[in-house]
Amino acid sequence: MDQPLQTYIEESRALLEDMEAILLHLESAPDDRESLNALFRAAHTIKGSAGLFGLDPIVSFTHVAENVLDRLRDGQLAVSAGLVELLLQCRDHVSGLIDTVAEAGAALSDEQQQAGERLLLALHAVLGEPGTAATAPAAPPVPKEHAGAVETSGGGRVESDAWHLSLRFGRDVLRNGMDPASFIRYLATLGEIVSLTTLAEALPEAAAMDPEGCYLGFEIRLRSEADKQAVENVFEFVHDDCDIHILPPRSLVEDYFKLIEALPEDNHLMGEILVASGALTTRELELALACQNLKAAAEPPDEAGPCAPGKPVGQILVERGDTYPEIVDRALKKQQQGREHKAQEARFVRVHADKLDGLIDLVGELVIAGAANALLAGRSGNAALTEASSAVTRLVEEIRDSALRLRMVPIGETFNRFQRVVRDVGRELGKDIALEISGADTELDKTVVEKIADPLMHLVRNAMDHGIESAEVRAAQGKPARGTLRLNAYHDSGGVVIEVSDDGGGLKKDRILQKAWERGLIAPNQNLSDSEIHQLIFEAGFSTADAVTNLSGRGVGMDVVKKNIVALRGTVDLDSGEGRGTTARIRLPLTLAIIDGFLVGVGSASYVVPLDTVMECLELSAGERAALARRNYINLRGEVLPLIRLRDSFELGGEAPKRENIVVVSHAGQRTGLVVDALLGEFQAVIKPLGRMFRHLKGIGGSTILGSGEVALILDVAALVKQATAREMAATDAAQTAMH
Amino acid sequence: MPKTVMIVDDSASLRQVVSIALKGAGYDVLEASDGQDALAKLTGQKVHLVISDVNMPNMDGITFVKNLKQLPEYKFTPVIMLTTESQEGKKAEGQAAGAKAWVVKPFQPAQMLAAVGKLILP
Repeated sequence: MDQPLQTYIEESRALLEDMEAILLHLESAPDDRESLNALFRAAHTIKGSAGLFGLDPIVSFTHVAENVLDRLRDGQLAVSAGLVELLLQCRDHVSGLIDTVAEAGAALSDEQQQAGERLLLALHAVLGEPGTAATAPAAPPVPKEHAGAVETSGGGRVESDAWHLSLRFGRDVLRNGMDPASFIRYLATLGEIVSLTTLAEALPEAAAMDPEGCYLGFEIRLRSEADKQAVENVFEFVHDDCDIHILPPRSLVEDYFKLIEALPEDNHLMGEILVASGALTTRELELALACQNLKAAAEPPDEAGPCAPGKPVGQILVERGDTYPEIVDRALKKQQQGREHKAQEARFVRVHADKLDGLIDLVGELVIAGAANALLAGRSGNAALTEASSAVTRLVEEIRDSALRLRMVPIGETFNRFQRVVRDVGRELGKDIALEISGADTELDKTVVEKIADPLMHLVRNAMDHGIESAEVRAAQGKPARGTLRLNAYHDSGGVVIEVSDDGGGLKKDRILQKAWERGLIAPNQNLSDSEIHQLIFEAGFSTADAVTNLSGRGVGMDVVKKNIVALRGTVDLDSGEGRGTTARIRLPLTLAIIDGFLVGVGSASYVVPLDTVMECLELSAGERAALARRNYINLRGEVLPLIRLRDSFELGGEAPKRENIVVVSHAGQRTGLVVDALLGEFQAVIKPLGRMFRHLKGIGGSTILGSGEVALILDVAALVKQATAREMAATDAAQTAMH
Repeated sequence: MPKTVMIVDDSASLRQVVSIALKGAGYDVLEASDGQDALAKLTGQKVHLVISDVNMPNMDGITFVKNLKQLPEYKFTPVIMLTTESQEGKKAEGQAAGAKAWVVKPFQPAQMLAAVGKLILP
């Protein structure tokens, strides 16, 4: 697809999003003039550019909508709930039209077609026009000239086969940026200029001359196949300022005579010029003069009739001119009102996402190369070299941070999309729900923002459908009839947290447990913490909703939500109280490309633990080491800390060294100790995804390349913690069974 | 030296299409997204013709043309206003401000080339 069209599609989609936001805003603030202006502008831009691409369906539909918006803007129409609804539907229709453009070859479904016609009828009704669906003017009015205007048969007509143009440029044309020479050169593109006579008769004495003024006139003969409209259009922009007479080829001699009369120069001089230029023959000139005498005798001198071909077009405009200052005044006043609100100015450079990705990749390589450099410098023992390389390392870190920040976008745009969703779904469900948004400025990686929209949508719909109760139930519980849904985002220790909360009925633990038993997800009488119970609803095929609506509750969904979030290296947990609502908390990494890690060694292998999960490091004491032969946990300041020996769990083999270390990691409030050989320190890890073959490996989240060129695996702490917890649970169960 | 045309419109796609057409005809093209942007970009440049939309955020076309005409170096620069058929009033307003030429939206690139061609050569 060609670039401008692609730009058009992106631009229109952005404008449509703006329109949606504005329309929703207008529901609460119907008199906001600046919003009405912006709304009009958006429709105007979509239409104007659509015309350039010949997208006639968009032009004709938007044209009618734009008329409605224009009247809204002028205050001729008032904003009403019904009108906003209609305009929202129109917006959606245009969006559909844009989609058909985006997917080349796609066409509107019959349903959409009918919807479009229905909307047009409704818009015409609003405008108070009888219009049918197909009346909108699609293309710009193409000037078509009545070909009959130029006749070629003889009888009192001049013999010249060329157009004759008499131009007297106004004083101001040069000041207005109109160069007579340009017009004449453009005229030459229509045909051949047979002769051109420049008249400087109007030029005054040097002292009286205005150096910026134009005093020139031209007599031009043009041989051209163009029609009169086309010739006239050449001087379209100077009609107001100039005296222009155009005579078609083979005009009546009488017309030439009228022309001579109308021109400011002396009649005899003009006659000579016309003869000299070949427009008239001497005989024709004599005829014309005879004609003049005849006329003078028959009737009092009269102006040329309104349809005389030589009538200056400028004159027609001047005749209409009396309404002109009034319009200007009114428009100026209107504009002043509009200018009081000024949109904030933001300066952006639009860059293709691929270019940014390319940059991030390079920065990743730079980080690796920098690490290798630092490693070698350290080994060399050369102090100056070490110093220089650490300066480079510091700069590379800064570059890494700036590069990553380039891809950061505020979550607000995604949040705002939910205004419409909440409004529409609320109506569908018959619930009155307000959406509160906070932390819209919170920034996170563009890829993450894009991929989080779907899971968020699911959570929002779920909260509206199952979370928030109907107005009657709410009233009975003493809650305000209007439900509230909150979207919030904030930064939290190297990650971003997005919350979707409602003030509905909360999760019903008993029902979740019962369902989980029925589905065989848990054993009867299994002891579960609140948070574990809540996690059950993320299991596949789990739904406690009794009524299945078309919005949610088909039992697919929450597991998909979780899968999508986990795929982003994020986590989701629920916080819920019966009767007071539910909060879904999504925790996401800031970026998918590079993490701060903690490098540990086991045998000859190295592993990276994401730094934000590391709580502390301690040495495994000799006494505890002995005890570990029997059990898999230690006593850490009075609390049980389950341990995972990476050597065993990854089956690395080999003997453990004399001194081992524990890295205490935490995930979702659960702590686990990883037993490793050596602590190698902090490390920036550029994440390289694992090949497809290794995707299913539990406990490994990715890989990275060390400064030495070796590969290190990045640990998936969430999976490891879960593994340890499950093992402890099983051991406890087994112990209990053994006791019975 | 090719002549430079500045196109001022808030629609990037419109700017691109106009720009491609004009460049094809041998003009140099500068783009600006609204009046303010245009005034900022004009400084230190020699622009021979300005094409401006009427409806734009930040600074609309009419205000822009008025400001433009205040600048000594752009006093005589021709301006083409982009109007719509529904905006006859705007056309008159634009002319009063100093934009004596106009092109009616929606237009085809050829129409724009014709309008520019009447005013300046590449």
